[in-house]
Amino acid sequence: MSTLLEVSGLRVAVGGKEILTGLDLVVRPGEVHAIMGPNGSGKSTLAHVLSGRDGYVVTGGSVSYQGLDLLAMAPEERARAGLFLGFQYPVEIPGVSNVYLLRSALNARRSARGESEIDAAGFLRLVKARARLMQMDESFLQRGVNEGFSGGEKKRNEIFQMAVLEPVLAILDETDSGLDIDALKIVSNGVNSLRDPARAFILVTHYQRLLDYIRPDFVHVLAGGRIIRTGDHTLALELEADGYEQILAAAST
Amino acid sequence: MAQSTVRDEPRDQTAASRPWQVAAEQLSNTASGLDWLTERRTAALVRADCLGLPDQSQEEWRYTSLTPFARRWLDHLAGARLPAVPEPVPPTLAGVFSVDIVDGRLCAPLLATPPGLTIQSLQNLGAEWRTRVEALLGSVVSPTDTSASDSLVDLNTALLTDVVLVTTEPGASVAMPIHIRLQATAASALCQTRLLVDLAAGSRLTLSLEFTGTAAVLVNAVSQMCLGRDSELNLVRVQALPDDGMLLESTSIEAKDSAAVTVTSVDLGGQLSRQSLTVRLAGTGASATVHGLFLADGQRHIDNRTRLQHEAPSTTSREFFRGIAADRGHGVFSGKIIVQPGAAGSNAALTNRNLLLTTTAEIDTKPELEIYVDDVRCSHGATTGQLDANALFYLQSRGLDLSTARQVLTAAFLRDSLTGIPLPELRERLEARLESRLQAQSGAAR
Ligand SMILES: Nc1ncnc2c1ncn2[C@@H]1O[C@H](COP(=O)(O)OP(=O)(O)O)[C@@H](O)[C@H]1O
Ligand SMILES: [Mg+2]
Repeated sequence: MSTLLEVSGLRVAVGGKEILTGLDLVVRPGEVHAIMGPNGSGKSTLAHVLSGRDGYVVTGGSVSYQGLDLLAMAPEERARAGLFLGFQYPVEIPGVSNVYLLRSALNARRSARGESEIDAAGFLRLVKARARLMQMDESFLQRGVNEGFSGGEKKRNEIFQMAVLEPVLAILDETDSGLDIDALKIVSNGVNSLRDPARAFILVTHYQRLLDYIRPDFVHVLAGGRIIRTGDHTLALELEADGYEQILAAAST
Repeated sequence: MAQSTVRDEPRDQTAASRPWQVAAEQLSNTASGLDWLTERRTAALVRADCLGLPDQSQEEWRYTSLTPFARRWLDHLAGARLPAVPEPVPPTLAGVFSVDIVDGRLCAPLLATPPGLTIQSLQNLGAEWRTRVEALLGSVVSPTDTSASDSLVDLNTALLTDVVLVTTEPGASVAMPIHIRLQATAASALCQTRLLVDLAAGSRLTLSLEFTGTAAVLVNAVSQMCLGRDSELNLVRVQALPDDGMLLESTSIEAKDSAAVTVTSVDLGGQLSRQSLTVRLAGTGASATVHGLFLADGQRHIDNRTRLQHEAPSTTSREFFRGIAADRGHGVFSGKIIVQPGAAGSNAALTNRNLLLTTTAEIDTKPELEIYVDDVRCSHGATTGQLDANALFYLQSRGLDLSTARQVLTAAFLRDSLTGIPLPELRERLEARLESRLQAQSGAAR
């Protein structure tokens, strides 16, 4: 299997402080990776650097995505190449409707691939089907992006957007936090229904709970700015039972 | 003009006073049959002479200087004369009743006005309206607002070329929006526009005023609107002068018992534009909603001063003012809410949000509350900043490029202020114009 994403020795500083200290990660199409770690270990930093957010200084290492130098690409170029970030804290944008954002996003991707704009009827069909999948009322579509949404609704909206945009690599940053059990099931169901041999996921999560619903192929423990342990889904159970401390202690010896 | 020879010598006998007087005399001589107006002109001229042009030592004019224009004004005054009654202009909007005021004069003839509505000018003023018009011309914009008694209103009274009076019949619901285009075409004259609106009890009217003009026009506009008991006015005011045009505008609205006024004000043109809007909630249960938007790009200087005055019990005001400044543009917003002793149980809220698109632009804002009674609920606040970096990144992460993301966020910011405009065609046109200007902005910023 070819490699979709290869992160090698990535070092990243924020505000003069090194947060990632040599991180390695390889993701192939079809795989689901879970990245777990204590608060402040750099999980969101990794997600943001991969999606091109300002304010992060790469001080070493490289990232290749579909054979391209990901770090040299603008955020929108990454998105058009099929990268999707589900935000830990989705942003409210009053005055820009969800449906407008989705159409613009979809057309930006299509035009990057040399395709024509999506026709109105096809777009509406797609959006409505995905709204049903995420059990979202269609009235959400006309509202401002995340405007006045509850925490859970915002997370659901992230997965809804992902479902419409059909990315090649989705990075979901703590999409499970703040969800009640019903919402967690809906979100997991959304992710599972998009699992595909050509598509990969990086699930950033603090808790094992999400992994009861989405079974990952790999679980990585991020601590001290690097991945200190990798295992299969049972590693998550181990973490849940023993806590991070034991693993951190074991890794430091 | 006998009166002018016996009046007191003005305190400040600058060069400014003489041209005003000459101009007023010229106008009085050409407007025959309107002797009663001459008296008004003279009284106003005496006041204007005493006050002089507003200057920056007055708090109300702190950020806006008329000095660079004073010379141009004085030159223009020499040319003051009564323009001929202008020809009607083809309508620019469908589904509205179009009225044209060119260089201050009402275009004739007006085709059949919608039922319940009357539009008159000095030419055809009904005898029964004469006293009312006389009284309004004699009053300053707001008798209790001393700061508003600057000379601009008096100057307008002294030099006006026409008065346009819009009235409704009691209980009439005027179905068709009235779109008044106030055009200034005479670059050599100081254009004075005077508009009086009188809504009878229980009537409803949608009125839009659009200021346009040819190159380098100077306009001094005064509007006085009176809303009778239970009446409703939906007022849209658009300033779309050419880039070298100038507008000074004084508007005063008085709402009687349970009357409701909604104002949407948009500034998108001009070199200098200064609007002073006073809304007096004078009757129990009267209410006002004000939406404002200005785009101070290029070299534009746009100053909006609003004053919402609660004078009676249980009155409500809501004000949302937004400004965008770019390039070397300068925006000013000063909004004051006054709750007078008699206004128990009132409720007022004012928010002002401003967006600076470039570091060379400037916005000065001053929201103020003046409350003289306990039992009220008031809030006010103002923010000025750049586009939200989180929102920009969010849009980029979905595939929109930075300049599109900027445009989308800026357009969203301004669209919010326009949603209340009840003329869909006008609203869409304004959106399109503003957005294309912002497009030019983000193109130039790169
Ligand atoms: N803008 C910033 N400036 C300074 N430090 C930051 C900034 N953003 C994050 N950090 C720090 O980087 C570390 C990692 O943060 P983050 O990636 O958000 O962790 P996680 O998502 O794993 O909880 C934390 O110590 C946090 O305080
Ligand atoms: Mg995080």
